[in-house]
Amino acid sequence: MDQRLVKQFKEAIGPEAVLTEPVQLVTYECDALPHLRSMPEVVLLPRSAADVQAVVRICNNEGVPFVARGHGTGLSGGALPVPGGVVISLAKLNRVLDIDIPNRRVTVEPGVTNLEITRQVAPFGYYYAPDPSSQQVCSIGGNVAENSGGAHCLKYGFTVHHILAVEAVLTSGELVQIGSPFVDAPGPDVLGLLIGSEGTLAIVTKAVVRILRKPESVQTLLAAFDSISEAGSAVSEIIAAGIVPAAVEMMDAVAIEAAEAAVHPNFPPADTVLIVELDGPSAEVAELFTIVEAICQKAGATKVEIAQDEGQRGRIWKGRKAAFAAMGRISPNYYVQDGVVPRTKLPEVLGRIRALGEREGLRIGNVFHAGDGNLHPLICYDERIEGQSALAERVAGEILIYCVEAGGSITGEHGVGADKKEFMPKMFSQDSLDVMQSVRDALDPKRLCNPGKVLPTPRLCGEVPGPYREHPVERAGLAERF
Amino acid sequence: MSVPQTLRQATGEDAIDDVVPRHVALPESAEELAQILADASRERQLTVLRGGRSKLGWGRVPSRVDLIIGTEKLNRLLAHRHGDMTVTAQAGMPLAELNHRLAEHRQYLPIESAFPQATIGGIVATNDSGPTRHRFGTPRDLLIGVTLAMTDGRLVTAGGTVVKNVAGYDLGKLVSGSHGTLAAIVDATFKLLPIPLASTTLVATYADGNALAHDVAALSASQVELAAFDMCVSSEGRWILLMRMASSPAATAAQAEEARRLLSSAPAAVSGDEERSLWEEQIRAPWEEGGTIVRLSWLPSKLPAVVALLSRLRQHGCQVATFTARAIGSGLIRLEGEERAIAGAIGMLRESSDAGHVVVLRATPALKSQTDVWGPSSGTIEVARTLKRMFDPADILGAGRGPV
Repeated sequence: MDQRLVKQFKEAIGPEAVLTEPVQLVTYECDALPHLRSMPEVVLLPRSAADVQAVVRICNNEGVPFVARGHGTGLSGGALPVPGGVVISLAKLNRVLDIDIPNRRVTVEPGVTNLEITRQVAPFGYYYAPDPSSQQVCSIGGNVAENSGGAHCLKYGFTVHHILAVEAVLTSGELVQIGSPFVDAPGPDVLGLLIGSEGTLAIVTKAVVRILRKPESVQTLLAAFDSISEAGSAVSEIIAAGIVPAAVEMMDAVAIEAAEAAVHPNFPPADTVLIVELDGPSAEVAELFTIVEAICQKAGATKVEIAQDEGQRGRIWKGRKAAFAAMGRISPNYYVQDGVVPRTKLPEVLGRIRALGEREGLRIGNVFHAGDGNLHPLICYDERIEGQSALAERVAGEILIYCVEAGGSITGEHGVGADKKEFMPKMFSQDSLDVMQSVRDALDPKRLCNPGKVLPTPRLCGEVPGPYREHPVERAGLAERF
Repeated sequence: MSVPQTLRQATGEDAIDDVVPRHVALPESAEELAQILADASRERQLTVLRGGRSKLGWGRVPSRVDLIIGTEKLNRLLAHRHGDMTVTAQAGMPLAELNHRLAEHRQYLPIESAFPQATIGGIVATNDSGPTRHRFGTPRDLLIGVTLAMTDGRLVTAGGTVVKNVAGYDLGKLVSGSHGTLAAIVDATFKLLPIPLASTTLVATYADGNALAHDVAALSASQVELAAFDMCVSSEGRWILLMRMASSPAATAAQAEEARRLLSSAPAAVSGDEERSLWEEQIRAPWEEGGTIVRLSWLPSKLPAVVALLSRLRQHGCQVATFTARAIGSGLIRLEGEERAIAGAIGMLRESSDAGHVVVLRATPALKSQTDVWGPSSGTIEVARTLKRMFDPADILGAGRGPV
């Protein structure tokens, strides 16, 4: 990068906040989607909203693309650096600014971790509801960018339902308040647009989040089934009974095997396990839990285990939450997919996925949020076998097509990012995508804010979708990707 | 203007704040709506989108209205996926009819309106809600997908039909609260809830607002989960708190018991048809008589300060006819009196640090000329204006009446 620019950044936020050494930069070359990598030229570590404004102004004046980054736990390459651009890390904006228990609001900077909010308010009997699996390390800024959910979003919704207001730096460098700590602000819900825009419209420098009263009672059961269709019919019956559980999770035999190998949750032998959690006032949970248990028995559960204490509940969730990472125990490599189908289409789509795996000779484990139809197929492969990486990618892509054909979505919670933008035309018409691009252009006229993410970009001729592979034209230095 | 067959001359019945529009169009399909909008934009016809007319008076006084596009012929339920608990309905479908249809499968969309003719499109465009917002939020929280007609005639979608979906920009959220200033809502998809197995409402009466505020604080710090929650003060100065519990039968009873224990005033319990009518009346009440209606929001802990503000309004030369607080820090004040006194009272509310947003919903054109119904601008409005220039480059939508 032009040394003149580096000098400008150093003058604006201090030399120690500008990283340019390759050994420092390597941390930032990817997020938690490691097969997409790109070495940034400069990483900036602002300490305040004013710092963020200063560096965004320089980028805007000089035409330098910038990518905001939280703690790098994203699963769609949303924080993938852009060639010729800078990464703006929000990690040092990590203060909890205000805790207002009577009004159930907490004001934080974007680098505060999701779980830190709950830690701070737990002594008062409150918690922050969205609970992505990475909640110990992921940042609120990243959660806002991705509209993160979690296992409990069936009942409690996503980040967008728990943020009242943000302070954000627009691409011009202007600092604005979007939303309001008061409800019923007049006008279009710009906050709702910003949340989930994957860092492409502005950089959030502060967020006012809503906290909830910790439920009086939580009850969790694990039911074992001989088939996924029996487990699926139990879920349908629970919903039809008018019960909205806090969480309904399912794991198939491959995922159970992996979880057992990794963290030994001691799940009963089964083709499918179903985890159902109810929370709320004690009387309600007690009454509805009996109904849920009876539904599981009637649907053919071979075993129903009820967590008797926090330890047993923790063990069940440990098995569930470890399932992704645990795939490493039974497969040299694996690919985590994220797609959504209408809940009633789960058996059909899972059947298609199973057939696909058999046809292509790849094992596919399934861990999913059954209550809202959010699938996470885990595609096992061995990159040492020639062609298997490409095959796994193709299978992962095929699964997304199944989801869209069933009336679902290409992503339920991981985001589109750099990873899935080429699948957007499967879900949206060209006109719809063009309007989304116009929204983006209205707020980012120079196309500098996290370019190349979310919306599909024209391809270089001969380019194939999937993990980054240097294109021959790029290798020859004749073109670069942006 | 090229006149489609569905276009007719407007009459006095179509007037908005006494301004009679020139034409009314009632498209019968999404494509036709989009085409009418494109023609209007090209010819710079100031256009107002209209659903059931229930909130048509909200907004500034228009200088001129060339065209009203009504959605009453776009009134079909497109899909109730009851197994998935989602529904897609055209913008012109009345909310009441939608909920009637959903009840066939013991489901409902937890949004209320004071107006029986209110449509899905109008409810999203205004993000208007009732007492169940306490539990389920406002329409934007339940909306999962939309089809929009753009002013250049394109029909576009955002979101989808599944409850969990983060693909693309959420344009449905963006048009929530836009009051028809960005694009026309053609259809909307919502997530649904099961109709609770049991329900009961407690009604407590208080001699003064502070005693009520004290009980509200106690309830909100407790484990009682209210399905709906309202409070109001009558012109006679009696304060009433309404709390609805809705869950399984035993849980509903246990919750009601717990609430009774916390309240300083012994409540009456109402259920069944009587409970249903009670809430319907409660939602309609602020609108049933004349006067100015102002929507006010506040931080929940500031309820006692808001109660004090109301008595200051009384000293301001206008009368607080009714005050209805909706759930967690929002309420409707019905004011009666001279327009100048009411304009002064609105100014006083806007200056108070205890009040959040003060929006005038219903007012005479004369009063609207003395105060901006939307209140001061904000960062949100500034960004929305930037977006409006893209969505509506000819600046026709809303005819200058909306928040942007």
